[in-house]
Order: sequence, then structure tokens, then C-alpha cells
Amino acid sequence: MTTTSAISLAEVYRFLAHAMQYPERSWFGEDFLSLFCTFLDELGWDADRAALAFPKQLSSKDIELLQVDYTRLFINSVPHVLAPPYGSFYLAGGGILYGASAEKTRNFYREHGFDLALASDIPDSLTNELQFLSFLRELGEENVELEFTRTHFRPWFCKFSTIVQREANTPYYKAVVKMIDFFTMEDE
Amino acid sequence: MALTLTRRKFLQTASLAAASIPLSKVTAGAQPGVVKKSYPAPGSFTGTESKPSVCEMCFWRCQIVGKVRDGRLVKLEGNPKSVDNGKSICARGNAGVQLLYDPDRLKYPLKNIGERGKPVWKRISWEEALDECATRLKAAQKNHGPHSLAIFPHGASAKYPMQFFEMTGTENVSEASFFQCRGIRDMGYVSTFGFAPGENVDMAHAKAMLLIGTHIGENIHVSHVKSYLKGLANGAKLIVVDPRFSAAASKADIWVKIKPGTDTAFMMAIMNYLVVNNKYDKAFVEGSCEGFDAFREGIAHATLEWAAKICDLAVAQIKEVAELLAANAPNVSIHPGRHVSWHGNDFQRMRAHACLTAILGAYAVPGGLIKPSSGIKLGKVGWPKGEHDEEFSLTGSHKFKPPGMPTENIKKAMLEGKPYPIKACVCWGQNPIQTIPGQQATIQALKKMDFVMVVDVMPTDITMYADILLPEGSYLERYDYIKNGLAGWQPGSDTAVGYIAPRMPVVEPMFERRDQVWITNQLAIRMGYGDKIPVQSLPEMMDQMLAPAGLSIAKMQAMGGIHTQPAKAPYAPAGIKEHAFKTDSGKIELYSEVLSDAGFPAVPTFLPVEEVPEGFARLVYGRSPVHTFNRSQNNRWLHHEIPENPLWINEECGKKMGLKTGDRVHCENQDGIRSRTDTVVMLTPGIRRDTVYMAHGYGTMNTAMTVAKDQGVDDTSLISKVVVDPETGAHGMRNNFVRLIKNGKTLNIPS
Repeated sequence: MTTTSAISLAEVYRFLAHAMQYPERSWFGEDFLSLFCTFLDELGWDADRAALAFPKQLSSKDIELLQVDYTRLFINSVPHVLAPPYGSFYLAGGGILYGASAEKTRNFYREHGFDLALASDIPDSLTNELQFLSFLRELGEENVELEFTRTHFRPWFCKFSTIVQREANTPYYKAVVKMIDFFTMEDE
Repeated sequence: MALTLTRRKFLQTASLAAASIPLSKVTAGAQPGVVKKSYPAPGSFTGTESKPSVCEMCFWRCQIVGKVRDGRLVKLEGNPKSVDNGKSICARGNAGVQLLYDPDRLKYPLKNIGERGKPVWKRISWEEALDECATRLKAAQKNHGPHSLAIFPHGASAKYPMQFFEMTGTENVSEASFFQCRGIRDMGYVSTFGFAPGENVDMAHAKAMLLIGTHIGENIHVSHVKSYLKGLANGAKLIVVDPRFSAAASKADIWVKIKPGTDTAFMMAIMNYLVVNNKYDKAFVEGSCEGFDAFREGIAHATLEWAAKICDLAVAQIKEVAELLAANAPNVSIHPGRHVSWHGNDFQRMRAHACLTAILGAYAVPGGLIKPSSGIKLGKVGWPKGEHDEEFSLTGSHKFKPPGMPTENIKKAMLEGKPYPIKACVCWGQNPIQTIPGQQATIQALKKMDFVMVVDVMPTDITMYADILLPEGSYLERYDYIKNGLAGWQPGSDTAVGYIAPRMPVVEPMFERRDQVWITNQLAIRMGYGDKIPVQSLPEMMDQMLAPAGLSIAKMQAMGGIHTQPAKAPYAPAGIKEHAFKTDSGKIELYSEVLSDAGFPAVPTFLPVEEVPEGFARLVYGRSPVHTFNRSQNNRWLHHEIPENPLWINEECGKKMGLKTGDRVHCENQDGIRSRTDTVVMLTPGIRRDTVYMAHGYGTMNTAMTVAKDQGVDDTSLISKVVVDPETGAHGMRNNFVRLIKNGKTLNIPS
């Protein structure tokens, strides 16, 4: 049990990026789920919480269901990959990975002192953009964070999110994407 | 929490105390994809590079440069240093950018937890994927013998794994490039000239060119097209033999609208005419050929009238062709063709190509058949040779087969277990669903396997049948092929330019794509062959291959990707008519005792093909200028240009059937097999009444190819009648016939 009182948005961004990794036993276990469910409880998303219905001890089958859903949603699938988690797929001139908008995203990173850890990585992946937001929040660059969210992240994420909400077979991915939506929305 | 909860409110008021672990701890070990880095000055062009490489959108291997900005490939161009294709690349070459970043590409190792044909994919680690592949391939070999593996490779990256599997004890390798494409050509020329001809005819300096079924212009290989166009610009006469008014036919001086399947008779009549009328190159035949008398006797029946009747041509036109060739000999290009697996009588046709070249003396002269060599020696790196028991050879009666084993024999062993069972299958860069005729039998054979492993770049149709599917880096993300060629020769000069250009990565591979050396070595270790690994990495292999030329990857990078050096022109000294060849006799074998001893015709012989049944037309197929078979079908730019394959139908026939250009039809073949999809009709006077035509490679069935799926008609699906060339065991694929279905109504094709 923790005694945390205030929640850091930077950590939430990182947590959400983490939640979108390929599900494996090494991290997708009791501790992670406990935290994830606590988020849902605190958000008051009872229906999403109930839909998860994970047993106390996750079986290989439980993990495999998530892996299959992750693969079909985000990697490769028959009939086809449904929601590649990369910005340029959804933006103008899109339908492609590492399109022109991805280059702009990388330029944005660089203009603010960041870059990809690996040259072969794709700048506008969902996890990279969430991690970047976490860094901005840690640095107190809230205006830059807002600009990035408005101009780079939300324009594609909303399209992505709609597809995942419609196509995911597992409640987990619907809930994660809903959570990302919630935490990347501008405060009123 | 209230329903009107905002982010801010949540962060201020929520508590995660109920969780079993603090938020910070969950993400503590995660490696971020974005990190702090120094800020590069804007406008400095930091990271903008020109990366030299070699294209593989088709297999001509043009030299290219990739313009890479900040790690992202933004454009592909011809390498300005190239002495081969120069600055030019074709539409496909340009469109490589789209292949690289295609969202449908394979990204991680996948395991099929569904069934073959209806896969349910699960991403797995390389460790798990390789362990499973090795375990199951070894199990097949242990239970059924080392020969129980069938290998279907294709492309430059498949050579290293193919050699590995051969080393483990299986000869059951079927390369589409040999058994469904050019193998018959190579073996026909090897049996005549002692070497495989490639497409090495000196069209740029020809006085006349003969293309038999070759449709240059639709089949785009940049330096080849340039050579052809240069020849035409220099005034070369062009003869095109084709049942269809192809792009090449549109430029021809003589278009020979031949009946499909009769080309050998056509060439035999020309050769007989040249011989009878003393219009052949006597000095060359005496100096360089063997068996002329028996050859002359063997084709003596092939009169112009005989051929005209068989080929459905006018006597005068065949004579006109013969006279034109004789008048321009020896400077004539008798094009050997490329895809020649047509009718199951193709070895004899290729022998006719070669013999016609020989009696015209069209060898090692301007315009003729040549053997260009850069003179640059490269090292060889590969697996040790395997031991193969003759008892398990599937050669059968096909004594003149190209390298590998006849596909149909492999398929029979997969399907029926005869003469022994083949129980596991590896497809590496080949899509047997669209390369091998008899598609339903191929699918049944795949379903009978204990294990199917597929390595590919795209989710082509074959990937639907994989148990384990491994993602390979594309040609833009890896090393491999070293182009070694000759350019820049001119008649009257002894000199030329030799060049080599290695394929080098333009960008690093994304996701978990791996190269063929890494994948194969990892498999080898797990299968117990770790001690035989010839090279640890692709860069190491490249350096070993380049070393004999005094070169290395680093040197090639420094010199812009292409090394050139002076070389010899591919011509014999003027007037030389006596040449030595690597055949049994040391001469060009117009009459082949080797063939005779094996029970095959010793001189080019016409073997009739099945006639077109009433109500049907013969289905012939060819290349689209913007596609390379099925490989490029999912490319958005290329798909935009030619999204489907129109069905060419003779205009008069079409009108009688009530069709007009733009109508949509399905095809139904002689066995009642209907195309899954439809395509658009193109009525044209430019095709024979007994023939219909479409471009090959369309009609992808795998829905994971989101651009290509169901676009146009898959011609291979309609090739259910399987014919095999007796000498080589390669397929003939133009002995199938179709009629049409429009709005559910069957339309017979008028005879």
C-alpha cells in the first residue's frame, strides 16, 4: 500500500506509455493491474473497471488474449492491422509510417532539447509522444506541452482512439485509450 | 469521483493509495524512446545524407541513392555515379519509399495461434520464434529424414538461408526464378552455348532485333530499356512476335501476330529457310558449331508453309522475317527472353533461340549475344556443401533441370508423400500462392505440412499459411547483393567500364526486422550447425566478398557506392568466327548428343500444345510496367498508377459477346475455377481472337495487404491445369483457357 497523495501528471504520462507496451508477464502482473484498476476506481469508470474482469492470478491464456488483441490492433493482422499507433498514419498525406508529419514531430522534440534514443525508432509513436509529454511536464514546460498536445498529439490520437474503442476485443485497450484521452485533454 | 471530473481535479484529489505499488515504481525500469539530446542548429542540414545502394523493387538491381533527412528516407534517385542505369530509375524504384514505410509491413516475429489460411497472429520474441522454428524443423528431419524439408526461396536475401538448408541435407529447393520463370532459358542455352545468356544481347548496337514474347516497355529494366531504345534510335529494325500488340509491338517494323505455343515452329522454319537458301553464317557455323548436318536434316521438314499453317501466319511474313534477319546478320539481337515458362514445350523453344543466334553468327559481335564481364573478381562466402543421397533426388526424368528440384515433384511429395514425405516447408521471400500453378493444390500441400515457416517483408498471400512468420529487413535496410557488371562499350573499341555496386542500408531497420544472415545463423545454432557458420554478420560477409577486389564496405561508402575500372569490351576481334564453348563438344551444339542420349530431341523440335476449347480463349499474362509481380502490389504510389489488371479481349469477339471496354467481368477456366475477384474489360484489335491477356500479380487474397487485396484478378488462380516441361521440369503456365462471367451470366468467347 502506498501513501501517495498528489499525483504527478508526468508520471501518469509515463504510466500510460508503459501501459501501451506489448503485454508480457514481465510487467503485466498483479502490481500493474492493481495500479491500473485504482486509476479506474479513482476516475469513477466503474463500467470499464467491471469489464476488465481479470482474475487475481493471471493465466497464460489471459496474457495471450491481450497479446493477440495488441497484435491485431497495432502490429499485423488478418483481415488487416487496425490501428497502427503512429501519428502520420492518420494525418494528411498519411496511410504511411514515418510520414512527413513524423519528421515535424521529431523536429519539435529537437527544438526542445530531446531526440529519439534510437535512430531507427519512429518519432510519432504513441509511446514516444507520451514520454515526451512526461518530460515537458517534469520541466514545467506547460505551454510547450499544450502546444505539442494541440498540434501534434491530439489531431491523430482522436482518430486512433475512435478505432481502438470500436475494434478492441479486450476491455483493457479500450480503457487504456480512454485514459490517455482523458489525461491528454486540455483542462478547462 | 464526480462525473464531471477533470484532469486537474483528478491530479489534485485522487489517491492511488489503494494500489499495491507506487506509480513511480511501475515505470521505473522502462527505457524511454525519447531522450534529452543537444539541440542542433536549425538550417545546418544536420543529418541530411545521400546513401548509395542497389534497388530491389525488381531484380535488375539499378544503382540508387537514398536521400535521408534526420533518419527518414525522403526520396530515391538513380546514383549519378552509375554507368549502368545512370540517374534514371523506374516508377517502382522511386516508390521504394512507400515500401519502407508501409504500415502493413511485417514488424515483429508472429506466431499463428489460429489455423493455416485463417491465421490469428500473436507477437512473440525472436528467441521464442527461433526456438520453435529450429525445434520443429529438426523434428521433421529427425522423423522423416533431412530431405523432408521443402524450401521456396526468392530474391537476394534468400541465397544464404537456401545454402544453409541445402547443407542440412535437403535438395528440395524450388526457386520461382528458375522453375516458373527463366530456368528453361538458362538450360536451353547451357545445352547449346554452354552458358546461361541472361538478357545479354547487345541491342544498343544491333541492326535488327527479334523479340519473341518479350515485351520490353511493359517489362521495365532500366539499362535494358535504354539499350533497346538506343538500338531503335540508331535505326535497328524491330521484329516482335506476340499474339498481342504489346508496347514493343507498337514500335515494331514487323509485328508477327503468332498463335500462342507455336514459336518453335516459327523459328525452325526461319532456320530451315536460312539454311536451304545459304543465308546462314557458314564461317561461324564451321568455326564454332557442332552437328550442323544433323541439325539441317532435323529441321528440313520445317518449311515456311508448314510453319505458316501451325503458327496461323502468312508464308510471306515468315519469309520477310527470315530475310530481314539474314540481311542484318551477324548484328542481330535474338532476345533470349526472361519469363519463358509458357507451354511445357519451352526448352525446345529456347534451343531454337540459341540455334538461330548461332547460325546467324550473332555471337560476340555488335548487336549479338554477348558475355559481358567486368573482370572484377569477388570473394565467395557460403555454407559448406551438403551431402545428398541420390536415392532421394526428385529430379525424375528432368535431366536438364535448373538448380534446385522441379516444383511439381516437390509438391507431389508434400501432397501425397511420394516418393517420400516432405513434412516441413520454409518460404523465404517467395509467395508460392502466386508463383506456382495449381493454386488449390499448393494450398492443400501447405496444409499438410507439420510446420511452415515464412520469412518476408510484406504479408503476402503465403504468409497466411505460416505457423511462424518472421519479419525481414527490406532492401533499403540491409546489405546483401553486389551488382557486378559491364557498361560503356562501343563497336570498334576494345574497352569498356567494369563496375561493382553493393547493396548497403539506406536506413536502419525499424521494429524487430532482422537480416538473413542473423536469422539463418540463429537457426543454425539452434539446429546444431553452429560450428559451420561461415560468417557472423552481413557486413562481415560483404567485406569478405569485396576483399579480393581490394575493396571494403568502408571504401565503397567513401566512393559513393560504385567502383569502376577499365575492362574489355564483350566483342571478339573483328573477323574471328572460331570460338570455344563450355559444352561437351567445345562448340555450340546445334545437334546435341547429350540430349539425344537422354531421350530428348537433339535438334530444336516443335511439340504441339493443346488447342483452345470451344467457347474459351487462351489465358496469357505478362508484366505491368509499374509492378514486379505481386511484390509491389501494396505500394500506394504504384497502385495509384495501375490499380488493377485489365483483361485484353479481341474487339470483334468482345462486341459479339455484348461487352464494351470498362465492363467488369470474372473469369472462369476450363476446370470451372472462377476468379475470386473481377476486373475491367479492355476491348482491342491488338490481340488474337483466341487469346486473352492480363498482367500477372494482381488479385491478392490476403486482406492484410490493405491496398492490394482483391484488386484485379489473380491469373495464377486460373492456372489449374499444370504442364511440365519434359527436359527441365519447369512449369508451363499458358495452357489454361478462360471464358467470362458478367453479372452472373457465363459468356462464351466466339471462336
